[in-house]
Amino acid sequence: MMAVLDYLLDLGPAVMLPLVIFVIGLLLRQGVGKSLRSGIIIGVGFVGIGLVISLLTDNLGPAAQDMADRFNLGLSVVDVGWPGAAPMAWASSIGTVAIPVAILVNVLMLVFKMTRVVNVDIWNIWHMTFTGAIVSTATGSFWLGILGVVVHSAFIYKLGDWFAPTVDKHFGLEGIAIPHGSGTWSAPFAVVIDAILDKIPGIRKVNFNSTKIEDRFGVIGEPVIIGAALGLIIGFLAGYPVSDVLQLAVQMSAVMVLMPTVVKFIMEGLLPIAEAAREILDKRFQGQNLYIGLDPALLLGNSQVVAASLIFVPLTLVIAVLIPGNQVLPFGDLATIGFFVSMAVGIHKGNLFRTIISGAVIMAITIWIANMMIGVHTELARQTGTIQSGQVTSLDQGGSPISFILTELLHLQNLVPLIIIGSLYLFSVIFTYIQFKRNKIYAEEAVTTEEAGYESTRTGQ
Amino acid sequence: MKKVLVACGGAVATSTVAANKIRELLKEKNIPADVSQCRVSELGSKAAGADLIVTTAKVDRDYGVPVIHGVAFISGVGVEKTKQQILDVLN
Repeated sequence: MMAVLDYLLDLGPAVMLPLVIFVIGLLLRQGVGKSLRSGIIIGVGFVGIGLVISLLTDNLGPAAQDMADRFNLGLSVVDVGWPGAAPMAWASSIGTVAIPVAILVNVLMLVFKMTRVVNVDIWNIWHMTFTGAIVSTATGSFWLGILGVVVHSAFIYKLGDWFAPTVDKHFGLEGIAIPHGSGTWSAPFAVVIDAILDKIPGIRKVNFNSTKIEDRFGVIGEPVIIGAALGLIIGFLAGYPVSDVLQLAVQMSAVMVLMPTVVKFIMEGLLPIAEAAREILDKRFQGQNLYIGLDPALLLGNSQVVAASLIFVPLTLVIAVLIPGNQVLPFGDLATIGFFVSMAVGIHKGNLFRTIISGAVIMAITIWIANMMIGVHTELARQTGTIQSGQVTSLDQGGSPISFILTELLHLQNLVPLIIIGSLYLFSVIFTYIQFKRNKIYAEEAVTTEEAGYESTRTGQ
Repeated sequence: MKKVLVACGGAVATSTVAANKIRELLKEKNIPADVSQCRVSELGSKAAGADLIVTTAKVDRDYGVPVIHGVAFISGVGVEKTKQQILDVLN
């Protein structure tokens, strides 16, 4: 039995997962043809992401290294972003069992009335899977990996509960919760920062928001432009000749455009499972008291989230340069950096000033954690065949406190950071829980984005 | 040939679900269409030339093209209504 399992794992994700999906498709009575198609298409996704990640690491990696050497900068390990990290999670030894485990945790919590979230967002189970995969890679234990999936999923469903009122009142999405491994984990920090800012005279009245940022600067948020600009800047700083700088710019643009194009095939392969899971959950759990757990993509069209996403593309790079000893070069997550601050926008009621402050803290902590995860992240990337050489990391999920705290608790390597990040996060979560119990997370009547269509106007003093 | 853009945050997860459902719907109703996916941040430059935009995100911006909120394809609540809205725009 173990020999068979080892043989299958050795085939690599591009072969093993198609087999698994094919069998699951048959079990779900999808028919041979459809199951076969789903299986092969997920393999296509893995082959595709492998190509794109090598395009990224083979070209940006050396350039970042040269830049780091010339300016003594750090920033030599490329962030592959969630489009790079998610396939590693699915391809890990935990990958194939994580979906049923996360659903089972959800079902048990619903049965015992420990959550109101019915999570139908199967794709984002990759976050929970990633925690499990990282824990398993660090400890060498499959079962501790499963424990990681269980802890992450139980925790994120609770956060989904706590922030559902914000999703409803600020974003106008009634009956919906966003139990998400990057958008929602960062929200407790925003709750604490919001409460602190409320106590500072003067500062507490500063409020601006903008719908003009997108009209004026929307183009810099476009993935093609982000890719090209970063390629240009890094190629230039690496001291490359002009012809190579231009090459790098177009290559990085290509990475940005191609990443989702290939990763979506993995989602396509998962569709039969996602459908079946949703049907099962729909049938068993219906009622007015429940929230449907969905993807934070729902929040990304909100004008203040769009504005924050644009601001945080350059701001995240500035933070990366400022953090002492930082090795992580933000890249793959920049195109969707809005995920990190999407819930914070709601907590701050669309106040861009506060979102910039809490977002800066969130990104600094994320980058700090991503640094400490480089070793184990790289090991996972090699085990899953995503890279053959070099080092990688990611902001989303490599920079997640949940994965970091669990990994360190089970496999201690960074004691002081564990104490600092662990206590900061624990405090924020407890504080958020207290605010939730007092109905204070989204308290007074909010200024909605529709009413606040003026640009950078300070209200108050 | 109608052109439909399906957008979500990262053009990977929810837009894939919605795009698949829309392709099935249009095939069933014999409406020839090119259904493609993109990120919400790309809509500004891609909207021109599209007949319809379906987003799983709730977008506040006006793109000069009809926009339908397609969250129903993800949540499963109100799918028929959303399908009808899409057919109304494309017919």
